[in-house]
Amino acid sequence: MSVNKLEDLRQKKAKILAGGGKSRIEKQHSNGKLTARERLDLLFDEGTFVELDAFVKHRCTNFGMESVEAPAEGVVTGYGKVEGRLVYAYSQDFTVVGGSLGEMHAAKICKAMDNALKMGAPIVGLNDSGGARIQEAVDALSGYGKIFYRNTLASGVIPQITAIMGPCAGGAVYSPALTDFIFMVDKTSQMFITGPQVIKTVTGEEVTAEALGGAMTHNSVSGVAQFISNNDQACIEEIRRLLGFLPSNNLETAPEYLCEGDLSAVNDALDSIIPENPNKPYDMFDVIKQIVDNGDYMEYQPYFAKNIVTCLARLGGKTIGIIANQPKVNAGCLDVNSSDKAARFIRTCDSFNIPLLNIVDVPGFLPGTEQEYGGIIRHGAKMLYAYSEATVPKLSLIVRKAYGGAYLAMCSKDLGADLVIAWPSAEIAVMGPQGAANIIFRAEISKSENPIETRARMIQEYTDEFATPYKAAERGFVDDIIEPATTRPRLIDAFDMLSSKREIRPAKKHGNIPL
Amino acid sequence: MKKFNITVNGKSYEVDVEEIGGASTPSPVRRQETAAPTPAPAPAKAAAPAPKAAPAPVVEGGETVNSPMPGTILDIKVNVGDTVADGAVLVILEAMKMENEIMAPVAGKVLSINVTKGASVNSGDVLVVIG
Repeated sequence: MSVNKLEDLRQKKAKILAGGGKSRIEKQHSNGKLTARERLDLLFDEGTFVELDAFVKHRCTNFGMESVEAPAEGVVTGYGKVEGRLVYAYSQDFTVVGGSLGEMHAAKICKAMDNALKMGAPIVGLNDSGGARIQEAVDALSGYGKIFYRNTLASGVIPQITAIMGPCAGGAVYSPALTDFIFMVDKTSQMFITGPQVIKTVTGEEVTAEALGGAMTHNSVSGVAQFISNNDQACIEEIRRLLGFLPSNNLETAPEYLCEGDLSAVNDALDSIIPENPNKPYDMFDVIKQIVDNGDYMEYQPYFAKNIVTCLARLGGKTIGIIANQPKVNAGCLDVNSSDKAARFIRTCDSFNIPLLNIVDVPGFLPGTEQEYGGIIRHGAKMLYAYSEATVPKLSLIVRKAYGGAYLAMCSKDLGADLVIAWPSAEIAVMGPQGAANIIFRAEISKSENPIETRARMIQEYTDEFATPYKAAERGFVDDIIEPATTRPRLIDAFDMLSSKREIRPAKKHGNIPL
Repeated sequence: MKKFNITVNGKSYEVDVEEIGGASTPSPVRRQETAAPTPAPAPAKAAAPAPKAAPAPVVEGGETVNSPMPGTILDIKVNVGDTVADGAVLVILEAMKMENEIMAPVAGKVLSINVTKGASVNSGDVLVVIG
């Protein structure tokens, strides 16, 4: 081959690799952000990233666009290895026409998605884009539409992970919203449908971009995002960690890791976590840390609806998803937001063959007009639906309160729990002893000479008789009652037993989850 | 009565067909003309809460700590003027049969305490202001 042709190729590639040029890259760095290519280098195992479609160019001739050069069309796409496993990725380049999305930019993303789906490999999208490329008009809009459609087709087949690492406004927010996991970087990323300026002209409200759609807003208020990181490096490290908990697609199981230590060791610390007084709160994480491998877990939505804990962890080296009530926050009650959070997490785990561990200490659904008007019936139903629908192994561990409808909603035997284990501290009943005694013994209490004393006696009577796991165990709603210290070996054994679970459901187009 | 010409093996027959009623294509259920149900009144936006027994006025400019759910104030752990750390327990709110610890969202000085021991609160009520 002639030297000229090789030289020509090298020059073309060098130009593409230079992205938006030195000054724009410096600006990106001074804003505390990495470039699209630097991010991909961090995401993939060293030297494994293979770029595709680097030579793609836009076809727009409107508004002088014919003279605008956009190296790699403002988005770097390709594949590589994360901990040795195939992963596809696209990374928008803010230094090239603001990472704006046009027809060919979208076509590159679509191709990566199509390939990820075909190969059964996760896809990671690193978003940093000013939005639609206005000059391309409906071609840009069509580009978004094609991505949304593919997000939906791939949903439940391959894990889709999005990181917001810059602006993400208008229609652009819906691709991330359709994926399984959204990461945001604190202070440098924002998501909103309409920005602060539009809001000001329409409603007169004044709000900063950060307060409106910053990482903490979406992690703690709206529940749009699941994870928050301090900077690009930390965010990408977390994405790699998350991938380690997930299988590559819906036909595989998550990678198994070697679990060091004695799998049958009992742990006395668990015997003393639950306070004597049932009205005293405690931290559910104290329980989780004692049960899972190395006390290590990855929390999903740590800042949203904190009254329910959702996290990925490992037991005996295998991934499990944990859903647990948090007595420390709002008494661990179920409400609109906690139901939504749990239901989404349950379905995410079920899609990817991740067994569920439900740790139950729930006093009930939160009463009040705010909750009823907010549609707690509709939202709470999502949890019932998600649990009933899930075919992965489902194991419920009742550690304390399990009252009424909330007991059912936390995956009781009747919603298909394969195994229900209780601690002796469990109280499984229709309602708390005080409320129940007031109703059942109303006549005795009102007729007695000393109603206060009678009432106290009746409450005690009810507590001794019914606020225990034994009534439920007598009916078979609880499979076994165990000493807390033996929980970890018991759970490892149980999930091992459940690993061959097979369950056939009636054929249907798809269920109709209440939304 | 309908007339048809039917040809069998080249020979033409004239056939009369009479429809004798019975099952026909069902017609869709028609909309009944009834009075439209009255829509529920818009939920009264926390219908101007009756002035409560002399809680300190909400001090402007501080971080307000609101009640996360309806309940009863069991105990108040701080005094006006106290300096509190982020995460310090301010108030014990008994709700859902649980003694919930309401913690400071930020470090600062307690500017006002807007509830009294034993008071009933609704979700959203201001408990404490920290500045």
